[in-house]
Amino acid sequence: MATTAPKAGAFPSPYEIETPPGCEGWEEMYPYYALFDERRREIDENRFWFWNSMHFPVPMPAFDVICIDSPYQAVGSWQNRVFAVPPAMGIDYRCVNGYIYISGNPVTDPAKIAERAEFFQKRAGYYFQNWAELYGKWRVKMEALIRELGELEVPDLPEYESDEVAFGDERNTAFYEVLNAYGRALRLSDLMWQHHFEFLLLGYGAYGTFVEFCKGHLPDIPDQHIAQMVAGIDVLLFRPDAELRRLARLAIETGVDSAFVQGRTPSEIDAELMQSDAGRAWLEELEKVKDPWFNMATGDGLYHYYGSWLDDPSIPYASLIGHISALQSGEQIDRPTEEIVRERDRLAEEYGGLLDEATRGSFNDLLNLSRTVFPYVEEHKFFCDYWFLTRWWNKIREFGALLARNDFLQDGEDVFHLSRYEVASALDELVLSWATGGVPLGPKHWPPIAARRKELLRKLNDWTPPPAIGVTPQAVTDPMTIMLWGVTTERVQEWARQVEGGTVLNGAAASPGVVEGTARVVKSAGQIGEVRDGEILVCGSTSPAWAPIFSKIKATVTDVGGVMSHAAIVAREYGLPAVVGTGRATGTIRTGQTIRVDGSEGTVTVLTVSEA
Amino acid sequence: MTSQLVRPLDQLSLGDEPGFGGKSANLGELLAAEVPVPPGFALSTAAFEAFVHEAGLSDRISRALSGLSVGNLDAIGRASQTIGEAMRRAPVPGSVRTEVAEQYAALGADDPPVAVRSSAVGEDSQDATFAGQQETYLWVRGAEHVCEAVRDCWVSLFSPPAISYRLRLGERAHTPAMGVTVQSMVDAEVSGVMFTCNPVSGDPSMVAINASWGLGLAVVGGEVTPDDYLVSKVTRELVREHVHTKDVQYVPDPSGHGAARVAVAPERQDVRCLDAPALERLVGVARKIERYFGCHQDIEWAVARDDPEGLFVVQTRPVTALAKKTETPKAESAMSLIMSTFGAGKPSDN
Repeated sequence: MATTAPKAGAFPSPYEIETPPGCEGWEEMYPYYALFDERRREIDENRFWFWNSMHFPVPMPAFDVICIDSPYQAVGSWQNRVFAVPPAMGIDYRCVNGYIYISGNPVTDPAKIAERAEFFQKRAGYYFQNWAELYGKWRVKMEALIRELGELEVPDLPEYESDEVAFGDERNTAFYEVLNAYGRALRLSDLMWQHHFEFLLLGYGAYGTFVEFCKGHLPDIPDQHIAQMVAGIDVLLFRPDAELRRLARLAIETGVDSAFVQGRTPSEIDAELMQSDAGRAWLEELEKVKDPWFNMATGDGLYHYYGSWLDDPSIPYASLIGHISALQSGEQIDRPTEEIVRERDRLAEEYGGLLDEATRGSFNDLLNLSRTVFPYVEEHKFFCDYWFLTRWWNKIREFGALLARNDFLQDGEDVFHLSRYEVASALDELVLSWATGGVPLGPKHWPPIAARRKELLRKLNDWTPPPAIGVTPQAVTDPMTIMLWGVTTERVQEWARQVEGGTVLNGAAASPGVVEGTARVVKSAGQIGEVRDGEILVCGSTSPAWAPIFSKIKATVTDVGGVMSHAAIVAREYGLPAVVGTGRATGTIRTGQTIRVDGSEGTVTVLTVSEA
Repeated sequence: MTSQLVRPLDQLSLGDEPGFGGKSANLGELLAAEVPVPPGFALSTAAFEAFVHEAGLSDRISRALSGLSVGNLDAIGRASQTIGEAMRRAPVPGSVRTEVAEQYAALGADDPPVAVRSSAVGEDSQDATFAGQQETYLWVRGAEHVCEAVRDCWVSLFSPPAISYRLRLGERAHTPAMGVTVQSMVDAEVSGVMFTCNPVSGDPSMVAINASWGLGLAVVGGEVTPDDYLVSKVTRELVREHVHTKDVQYVPDPSGHGAARVAVAPERQDVRCLDAPALERLVGVARKIERYFGCHQDIEWAVARDDPEGLFVVQTRPVTALAKKTETPKAESAMSLIMSTFGAGKPSDN
């Protein structure tokens, strides 16, 4: 057990971290400004940086860096330049061995803080007062944006342009259309990220204030009860699974349930359904459900390989098989919404009743405001991270396919190993050589680069990043760091204690209960299939879109996350013990080890050192 | 006609506190609230006064106490001894004896075991712990022994800590008074204390329960580290638990009189001593008592050995010193609280 007292210098300097063997040159995948550069050493070495394993648990592919740049451009714009959150500007990031470390920029000048407070009170106040109306408009904006993305065409490069180009009014040639489409694709992504963060800080802030208020007046209240009091009933994120349950019932009613046999692939099931009228009718019903409800991501959306249920129907089909067999054995599979509403109101009334009158007034106001903002907190993920982003990656794949057809890449999927600027450059040369008829250099230039980077990422994946680097802060004061990542002063001190290694990990008690079981370390969504019944999921951060495994596992442990993280909320929905924000669970625990998860105390104990 | 000296617990209510002391009056209220309380009776301060008067102890007590000062522990100790010896030589008045014997007989045949406890009066009852008025005699059998235990309780009014306490309050001249509670004894398999709030965090939504094997003495006296449970009043779920090693317990003495301190069998020391249904029953009783009194309560309870579902409350009193977190957020408007989250509150909040 690690008991070393926290001390200055507990975390390594970002400038002293070694490159893993064989990973030399990893820096080429990332923008110059994303690196710990000697020219900025004096500043960067004296800051506290923590690994953002919640959003970036594995090394970043070059193209996916856009999912770091854009979010931090967007969140900083709203936080720092629109709402002017008084003590905190935006968040800086740096890349070490492919892993992303972040650090907030504080505002320390009291005069500046006071100046910003005036902006904040006025602007945030306006949002809270008009939340429902503004959020209604937001949904319209997002749906329009998703439609526009769907309509964006990636043109091919023809041998001869069509007559329309020659004789029509629309005289754009393919070179322009290709470059324009790529530019527009990037701009649509920027817009999505801008929308993503418009309500996020305020929504999380209102909910977080309620959580803190509860914990101040009811210090022992389980997080789960707070979540239950606020939780939405008609939450969009529950719709996909609700649709699957409806389809499961329909399959039984129309007598096609025998097609859903455990172990069959979706296409095997579809093939059997196609053989009967009832089966075909069921498939038609499925098609209607797919848009939009199959736009659930199979992971948390920030990497290109997190597709949607549309891309990989094995997840919804596994759910269908589960629901059908549950129904066949007479189980009740519907969310007991009436019961949930009753319990949510009962909890609110009972807890309110335990407070004195003045306190109860604040409690009720905060609860109502939290309930107002909560639909956004839940739903922005579906619109932005799932629906938009999974489709957007597919759009980028179309550019990859274009490059691959012209031998600029071996495989269209390799487009994600080029940065977005390199893709622009490759497209530039492609349309240039298409136009001139000359011999392009691209086919000799890009394939070896992509191949080298794939190998680099494979090797970097084995490196375990420290939870924090740089200077140990005396206290974490940045409200955003605390609210969004659950990185508090206590958490940092625990990390510092754990630096020398230990068999007990501490984190936030996110969902109560104690269980022991076999650990399954999952570092990427692709590994979800390896999870076995009754195992304990150990991951960077859990995603609500991993729904099917939540019914299999008996507990969850994550590297990063606070009570505010959506992952924690969903773990509670499933009633699984969960410890979040352990800092280094995926680096410390190995698959096959027996661990004890105490979701009430927030500790994870490694009980055996044996490995599977 | 109700007696002014001795009265059954079920005939007492809070209004009887000045005459019978807080403990007895509270037990009367609990019975009225239909909380399971072992039957018993109470002696009033008038019984004590009759004892002092009939034995002619009044002057002797005043003399022994005169001239004492707070810091002079030797003198206080000598005075305590003098008064105690005189009281022990004096007989319990015949009228008190007769009524005690009558009420005791009503508790059952064959000299049923009882607990005899002091029941402090007035301001003392708030600070009974400091006043040294927490005398408890367990597993007392036979009317004669009950009367002796009653007298021992009275003697405890003049224990050195009790004398010191009153000296500090400047009540030198005042002759103290005390009631006594006599209750049927529960042979406890498990017993302990519970608060209708978390006394450490101040959380009003929790019932904090301490429990250990045997009679309540071990927990109250701090002789074992009891199992520690925190249960939500709202959902009845167990929020936290710490099972400790409980190495000693009190059981009825094999001689038939008093309680004996014995070792807990090794295989039972680390066993959780309350299961979920038992916790559920305790929380139900705690809420009932809290609602009835309208304030947080500190409750002693016991689970009978011959009836695991038989839960008894043997004492309740208001929680006096409740730990309060200093940083409890003030009741403010929701918006100003949210502003504070973002560091945009009033200057004092930053």
